[in-house]
Amino acid sequence: MMRDLHDHLKTRYRLGDLAERRANLAFVDVARADLRALLVELRDVHGFTHLSLLTAVDWIEEGRFQLTYLMNNRTANRSLGLRVFLDRADPVGDTIHDLWPTAATYQRELREMFGIAFPGSPRVDEEFILEGWTDMPPYRRDFDTLAYSQQTFSDREGRETHDPRAHMAKKLNPEGQR
Amino acid sequence: MIRFEPDRSQYPQPGDDGKLEIDLETGKYLKLWHGPNHPGITGNMSVELTLCGDEVVEGKVHVGYLHRGFEKLMERRTFIQVFPIVCRVCVPEPDFNEWCYAQAVEELAGIEAPEMAQWTRTLILEMGRFNSYMMAMGGIGGALGMGVIGQWMTYVRDLMLDRFEEMTGARIYHMFILPGGVRGHLPEGFAGRMEEVLATAERYLADVDKAMFTNAVFKARTKGVGVIDPALFEPYGVTGPNARAGGVAKDLRKDAPYLVYDQLDFEVVTETASDIWARAMVRRRDIDVSIALIRQILAKMPKDGPVMAKLPNVLHWKIPRGETYVAGESSRGEYGYYLVTDGSGYPRRVNVRGPSYTHAMALLEHLIPGTNIADVAALMVSLHTYPPEIER
Amino acid sequence: MGNLRDVLSPFTAWKHLIETPVTIRNPIGREAADGYRGFHQNDIEKCIGCGSCEVICQNAAIDMVPVSAPVDGDSGLRPKIDYGRCCWCALCVDVCMTGSLTMSNEYTWVDADPDAFRFIPGVDPKPWDDMEKGYRREGARVLTGAERVEMGELPPEARIDNFDEIVVGYTREQAMIEADRCVECGLCVATCPAHMDIPDYIAAIREGDYDLGLQILYETNPFSEVCGRVCTHKCETACAARHEGDPIAIRWLKRHIVDNVSEDRRLEIVGTPQALPTGRKVAIVGAGPAGLTAAYDLARQGHAVTVYEAQDKPGGMMRYGIPEYRLPYDALDRDIAVIAAQGVTIKTGVRIGREIAMDKLRGEFDAVVLSIGLHIGRSTRIPGTEGPGVEAAIDLLARITAGEEVPVPERVVVIGGGNVAMDIARSMARLQKRKHGAVGVTVTALEDFAHFLADREEIEESFDEGIEIVDARGPQEVVRYKSGKRKGAVKGLRTWAVTSIFDGQGRFAPQYDQGDERLHPADMVVEAIGQAADVSILGEDLTEALEWTRGRLAVDPAGRSSEPWLWAAGDAVHGPDVITAVADGHRVAASVGAMLMAMGEVAR
Ligand SMILES: Cc1cc2nc3c(=O)[nH]c(=O)nc-3n(C[C@H](O)[C@H](O)[C@H](O)COP(=O)(O)OP(=O)(O)OC[C@H]3O[C@@H](n4cnc5c(N)ncnc54)[C@H](O)[C@@H]3O)c2cc1C
Ligand code: SF4
Ligand code: SF4
Repeated sequence: MMRDLHDHLKTRYRLGDLAERRANLAFVDVARADLRALLVELRDVHGFTHLSLLTAVDWIEEGRFQLTYLMNNRTANRSLGLRVFLDRADPVGDTIHDLWPTAATYQRELREMFGIAFPGSPRVDEEFILEGWTDMPPYRRDFDTLAYSQQTFSDREGRETHDPRAHMAKKLNPEGQR
Repeated sequence: MIRFEPDRSQYPQPGDDGKLEIDLETGKYLKLWHGPNHPGITGNMSVELTLCGDEVVEGKVHVGYLHRGFEKLMERRTFIQVFPIVCRVCVPEPDFNEWCYAQAVEELAGIEAPEMAQWTRTLILEMGRFNSYMMAMGGIGGALGMGVIGQWMTYVRDLMLDRFEEMTGARIYHMFILPGGVRGHLPEGFAGRMEEVLATAERYLADVDKAMFTNAVFKARTKGVGVIDPALFEPYGVTGPNARAGGVAKDLRKDAPYLVYDQLDFEVVTETASDIWARAMVRRRDIDVSIALIRQILAKMPKDGPVMAKLPNVLHWKIPRGETYVAGESSRGEYGYYLVTDGSGYPRRVNVRGPSYTHAMALLEHLIPGTNIADVAALMVSLHTYPPEIER
Repeated sequence: MGNLRDVLSPFTAWKHLIETPVTIRNPIGREAADGYRGFHQNDIEKCIGCGSCEVICQNAAIDMVPVSAPVDGDSGLRPKIDYGRCCWCALCVDVCMTGSLTMSNEYTWVDADPDAFRFIPGVDPKPWDDMEKGYRREGARVLTGAERVEMGELPPEARIDNFDEIVVGYTREQAMIEADRCVECGLCVATCPAHMDIPDYIAAIREGDYDLGLQILYETNPFSEVCGRVCTHKCETACAARHEGDPIAIRWLKRHIVDNVSEDRRLEIVGTPQALPTGRKVAIVGAGPAGLTAAYDLARQGHAVTVYEAQDKPGGMMRYGIPEYRLPYDALDRDIAVIAAQGVTIKTGVRIGREIAMDKLRGEFDAVVLSIGLHIGRSTRIPGTEGPGVEAAIDLLARITAGEEVPVPERVVVIGGGNVAMDIARSMARLQKRKHGAVGVTVTALEDFAHFLADREEIEESFDEGIEIVDARGPQEVVRYKSGKRKGAVKGLRTWAVTSIFDGQGRFAPQYDQGDERLHPADMVVEAIGQAADVSILGEDLTEALEWTRGRLAVDPAGRSSEPWLWAAGDAVHGPDVITAVADGHRVAASVGAMLMAMGEVAR
């Protein structure tokens, strides 16, 4: 079923291979320029009227962000995840709030948490979850939560642990002999 | 019956750019912070209301009071270490997180939880739904000044928490559904004690029916109030009871059966009016479905059998690169986990899709303008939202 | 009228006014459910301080703190929990390797001092320590694999008439699964005589990086191929996984790494000495694992090493003792080849003390290492042992290795219950099967099966091969034919049942039930009750000059004797196995090397 749809669509859109996860769930790469038209067709022609979620994945090693648009056809019980890749150095996405008004919230969150711009999306630059945040967008992979919490909070005094192997080596074989 | 007619005032008026102009300096408007500590608010969020007289002309939702960065924390924990924190995303119905996460991990790791675990998981999810609805019932009563409903429901919820406690070892954060299965079997005599709870619940619910649903005040304040046009459902990502109250007979338990729902008998509850009353009523009737399901599950589930699949050593468990989305019908609608793995011992990304994300943000902001200030609390509560799923 | 009902109906709620309140008046003291996850309990005797609980805790609530002195298989550390962090998830309980850690159902505790909520369960006494109720892991440990991947073996019928290697070795998939079970606590490292980096090389298997694995092995053991097959694997007795399951097959995993790196690749990875030649010369007497390990280390330090070996081939007991079906000769040869590639000169067929005197070595070399092993078979000296038809196990084993003709009668009785007894019994069984088509070996041991010295596998495999083992029998006499054609030949072994082996003080003093006497018919009796070192090679003067303790050459912890130029290592001074000999070799090489360095400094 998903295959048929993929075959049908790939003649007109630049799509990657279909990654089938379950009979009713698959993921596919989409060229950014084709996203909007594809979403509209999926919604209006193929019954994928429900936007389950819109989120991002940081593939920092590959220098890109993945946007995942998880589209759902509730009547046929099928979900298709569209993956759009953005240059991590200058991440700009295309707003779809006019297709799904609720997308504005997702886009606002992505702006705040990943630093992905969505020009034209309503109130996209307003603070959403964070307040007075000045550091890098915290859901990026290079934001180090541990370092942040160590800077922000102090560790409890008097805690010390021992690695069993090192502790035994020190006690039983202090000269470090093989 | 006296009805509130919105747009009585000529304010605010559109400016040159067509946008409504709200100038506080004119003295025509009043800013009112509804929450984060208002009893009519569902948890720690706030709605910044702009009033003109008793009419709300604008509402902006503010969240972040409860942000703990769960999704980020999960990226810094091994697959087993994520298990204890997921439940904390949602206090009233934590088990959905446990199941979605476990199921997603199992899918990407190629593991299947044994049958016994599937039944137990279903039981837990229905118990969780029941409890979540208890809070919803109490909430809607409370928002309309009927505190006693909240007290009754809290009592019944507490009885269910006792069952959770004996089954899982904890009352609120059960941490019982872990990747691979569940942690144990039901204690001896569990079904009998559960039956007592359900019977008590039914007694109290009958009282709720009399005191709340057969109540002129309640009817007056909920019927025809807070109507959501079903045409908004898909653009605004409305799912679950909120959509079912508008005649949409969609329920993932039925449409995309997970766990053992395909082996259970139940109907999808719907109403048509799509107002506060209908949303409350759908929940009220869905409680009966949950009660029936709990009874069914306890009667049908296997008496014994393994509860855990064979797991690799969780201390260095790596999962190949992949992504999946696991969702189910929570008490508030579609609840899902989007899990991305990269071959390492840690999730690359976990995204929690809570129904409140759409219901309490874009939808609520869309519904608020034109309501009477006195109805805002009931409107909000009728959407049955839990802020932590918005900000995770 | 519907509307009137809507007005009246709510008043039914008033009936609750006369109901008994449902609130619990005093919630403090309310007992939690039986399986509640409350404050932790730890059975301190059972806990081994492996730290798995600390590793799994996602809240970093656990510190491992010293509570007692470390011993084999127990780090002496115990978990200390910070309840400011604990989220009561009980993953620590689920992962606990011994089942020592549990939770009580106590959850109410008030204290003004926040530090009170940080304590060592089971060590810092708490009222709930002995509570029966609370969270217990249901069933077996499932978060880390409990069962060992079974090792493939040649079936008895395929192996009994030959000396082919019995153990097949793990496939990659099997090794991966077995390696996955390791929890990396590292308790085993202290127990391994050579302190091999066990968790690290097991991790290399999980990563599929055999080159790295081999490199790690060579850092501590140049006999990894041998040890991967025949090591006594004491590490496995210290393994955390053994408490509620099988210990990790550490030995087989070691072998698996070596099996997956070709001989050429091994030479590439290990390389040749990087140090510049020092011009110092070391003589090593005896090419067993002790001598060759010392040679390997010293050669890599840049010293010129000559090993003298009495036998025709190097390897010592690894070649001339351990039978081929457990350790094929080519496996041993591959280990030795890497050592020889370090520029070590091995002169075989040279018996020091006979061909070359110790004095001469002393004159020609800067240091001498004595690693001559134990090559004289001990005798029970019971009546009848003098004369033909009574053999020492190690002599027979050596002759079998050398390819010499050995007597193979139809019925053989072995005296001894250790691994050497099993080795000779099983070797003789193979020769019998070949020559006579049937096995006729009886092993008589002093110990009963419950206290047997030989490994369980050895006993089981011997049974499978048709060998008879009779336990708790004390040898009294080798009975010989008194007359007839076979006069003087061995007729059998007369034994008494053993009632106890040690006296109250733990001294060896076997007691017998003389009424329970048996004659085990035999044409040949083999004694396998222990070996001694041939120290006669030292010569009278040196023997006189050296210090001894209970018949053994006295050495300091570094292996140095009372003569500053002479070190001793291996079975001759320590024993009992290859890995101890390897450890000894390292120790002696470090000491010799330090001495040579000091000499170098003085010379410069
Ligand atoms: C039958 C048997 C089975 C065994 N099985 C195992 C086992 O499965 N696992 C295990 O770990 N251990 C086993 N052992 C023990 C193990 O083989 C020894 O502990 C180990 O080989 C000792 O090493 P070594 O270097 O001290 O001495 P050896 O290996 O005994 O080597 C000493 C060498 O010195 C040579 N030598 C002696 N005198 C002179 C001289 N005067 N001049 C020149 N050379 C001389 C000898 O010929 C010999 O080659 C077994 C032993 C025996 C006898
Ligand atoms: S119960 Fe959970 S949080 Fe508490 S110490 Fe154990 S592993 Fe850590
Ligand atoms: S896991 Fe168990 S045995 Fe290991 S240190 Fe912790 S409490 Fe002790």
